[in-house]
Amino acid sequence: MNERGLRFSDLRANVESKEILKGIDLFVEPGRVHALMGPNGSGKSTLAFAAAGHPNYTVTGGTICLDGSNLGDLAPDKRAKAGLFLSFQYPAAIPGVSVANFIRTASQAVHPDDLTPAKFRAAIFEKLDVLDMDAALLGRYVNDGFSGGEKKRLEMLQLAMLAPKYAILDETDSGLDVDALRAVGDSVNDMRKSDAGRDTGFLIITHYPRILQYITADVVHIMLDGRIVKTGGPELAQTIEREGYDRIREEAAAGAL
Amino acid sequence: MPSSAFAQSRAAVAFNDDEATLQRTIALLEESDDHGGAVDPDVRETAFARYLALPAPGARAGKNWRYDYAALEVAGLSWSSGRQPVAALPQRPGAKRLDDDASADNLSTANAGGLFHVGATVLEPRELPSLDPRVTVLPLADARRTHGDVVAGVLHQLIDFQTDRFAALATAFQNCGAFVFVPAGVQLAEPLVLVFASAPDPAAVFPQIVVVLGDGARATVIERHIGESESFICGTVEAHVGSGAQLDYVAVQQAGESARAVVARSARCEARATMRWHLAELGAGLARTTLETRLEGEGANAAINALFFNTGMQHVDLATTVRHERGHTTSATIVRSAANDRGQGRYLGNIIIRPHAHGSDASLRDDALLLSKRAHIDSIPALEIAANDVKAFHGATVGSIDDEQLFYAQSRGIGRGEAERMIALGFFEPAVAHFPSEALRNEVRTALDAKLDEATERA
Repeated sequence: MNERGLRFSDLRANVESKEILKGIDLFVEPGRVHALMGPNGSGKSTLAFAAAGHPNYTVTGGTICLDGSNLGDLAPDKRAKAGLFLSFQYPAAIPGVSVANFIRTASQAVHPDDLTPAKFRAAIFEKLDVLDMDAALLGRYVNDGFSGGEKKRLEMLQLAMLAPKYAILDETDSGLDVDALRAVGDSVNDMRKSDAGRDTGFLIITHYPRILQYITADVVHIMLDGRIVKTGGPELAQTIEREGYDRIREEAAAGAL
Repeated sequence: MPSSAFAQSRAAVAFNDDEATLQRTIALLEESDDHGGAVDPDVRETAFARYLALPAPGARAGKNWRYDYAALEVAGLSWSSGRQPVAALPQRPGAKRLDDDASADNLSTANAGGLFHVGATVLEPRELPSLDPRVTVLPLADARRTHGDVVAGVLHQLIDFQTDRFAALATAFQNCGAFVFVPAGVQLAEPLVLVFASAPDPAAVFPQIVVVLGDGARATVIERHIGESESFICGTVEAHVGSGAQLDYVAVQQAGESARAVVARSARCEARATMRWHLAELGAGLARTTLETRLEGEGANAAINALFFNTGMQHVDLATTVRHERGHTTSATIVRSAANDRGQGRYLGNIIIRPHAHGSDASLRDDALLLSKRAHIDSIPALEIAANDVKAFHGATVGSIDDEQLFYAQSRGIGRGEAERMIALGFFEPAVAHFPSEALRNEVRTALDAKLDEATERA
């Protein structure tokens, strides 16, 4: 029987032939929340894009397995169909394509016989409520002219609607005010309480521990220079909050980690 | 409808763009008081002389047109003129591709006024649609008798066959056409529809259309070209928009893949008039369209929404020109074009602001999307601004589908092909969104979607 979980094994990846990920081992179990923290440039987003199959990120070694299946060279849409979701730090705008049309198309692709149009409508309205979003958003073009906060809320709306097995949230908290951050937290927590989202495993990538006040992490990993240098419980996030990354960087440099 | 119902009411002649054919067509028209005779023989002869004298676009002034029109072959078609009584207007025109199309009802003229042509033959319904009695919609030749002065004030006045070679050809061989007159103050809720369906046999069709809106009038006119056969459509559209009047002129060209369509359209706008063009060039192997808007009255304004999508071997030349002749005139031009397979296109966008057109405001936004390596679209904006206190903006892009958009859609589970199609349809939306009714917008979206499908099937 296949193991359940999202597993990164000795993952190495290049961007424009520069090695960014230098051997990542990480295992996200169903229903658990892992936080991946680290300073800018440590490779967190590269990990996210490599997992989602972005063509500019070349995996040079190691594997990413979703419930035991190697994602290997799968196209990004096949990865989504397998149950992976990436919330983008900077989601692309798609002018001329309405939010409703986009999410419906994605939903049909990922869950082919799931929802009738009426149920789809009911579900999306319920989730808009949790995110404190106006229904008028459904008629707007995807991320076109959206504020930073609106973009992140739209990512959360898609996350809730697509109910993936594993979700990677890349800097979802960056640039958000307190209200938006709370809405994001509410949405994720609401999803985790639902039948569809109870078993979703989360990898929350963040620079600051702020979002972890709203979404409780079970495990916290610290990433420096393409490697995970420390793993611990939620208290590790508080340490970072107090001391920043310098201490860990010094420890890593001294070979203590 | 069996094709026998479309039998010509008079004998046709073999068409060629030569003097002998011109004389035969003139003789044919003089034998009767046919509706096709909207142009006097001496005007036809003058126009034909100009046609012969003027160089083919693209042959010498090669940079302005993508296609070399000297190579345009017109022999082997038939020229005819006539009218055909029918019990009622066909709900579903004979063209095969429309048979299963739920939107085909839109193509009938049943719920508004209009004229339905098959080839150059106008179908004359015994049951007339419920047209507002104050409004006139007639074959152009009939209108010359009933509204001679109004027609004369516009026909051949906006499009000069002395300088436009294809307008000269259309004038020389004019064999159908329409006159739409909406008197001052009359505001129509329903669109007027002019349909040109191709005849079963390859035909040369030369429509000349005159639209006149009196002061304060409002109307939407929809000109449609549909059908499969290898016709040659060469026509002119001239519109006069009175003070404070508002005209939405929609042209949807879905002629068959081997058809050629060359149409010049021009509108003259008086003070505070609004002229909105909505153009979708979707069919024909070769389409050449010019759209001119003359803002001749203080505060007149224009909107041009145009799109074309070339697939297979299709070729489109589109030129739009807005002339700001008076002060405080405004114009907004939005052009969206795409090409797939070996599709070729060229867009020329002209904005001319005259010295005395103070306080005018013009914008020109033109974006082209290339969906295959062999597709090609040129974009040539030209702003000629002779006044100081004006606002003028132009922006143009030519590119392929953005990788980040594609990745984003794919990361949501949407397959690459479906994602490309979604993004491409979205690309047209800024132009489509301005079409004046939801039925038209959906029809254009459906047609674009079908063209994306065709291209996918070929790939």
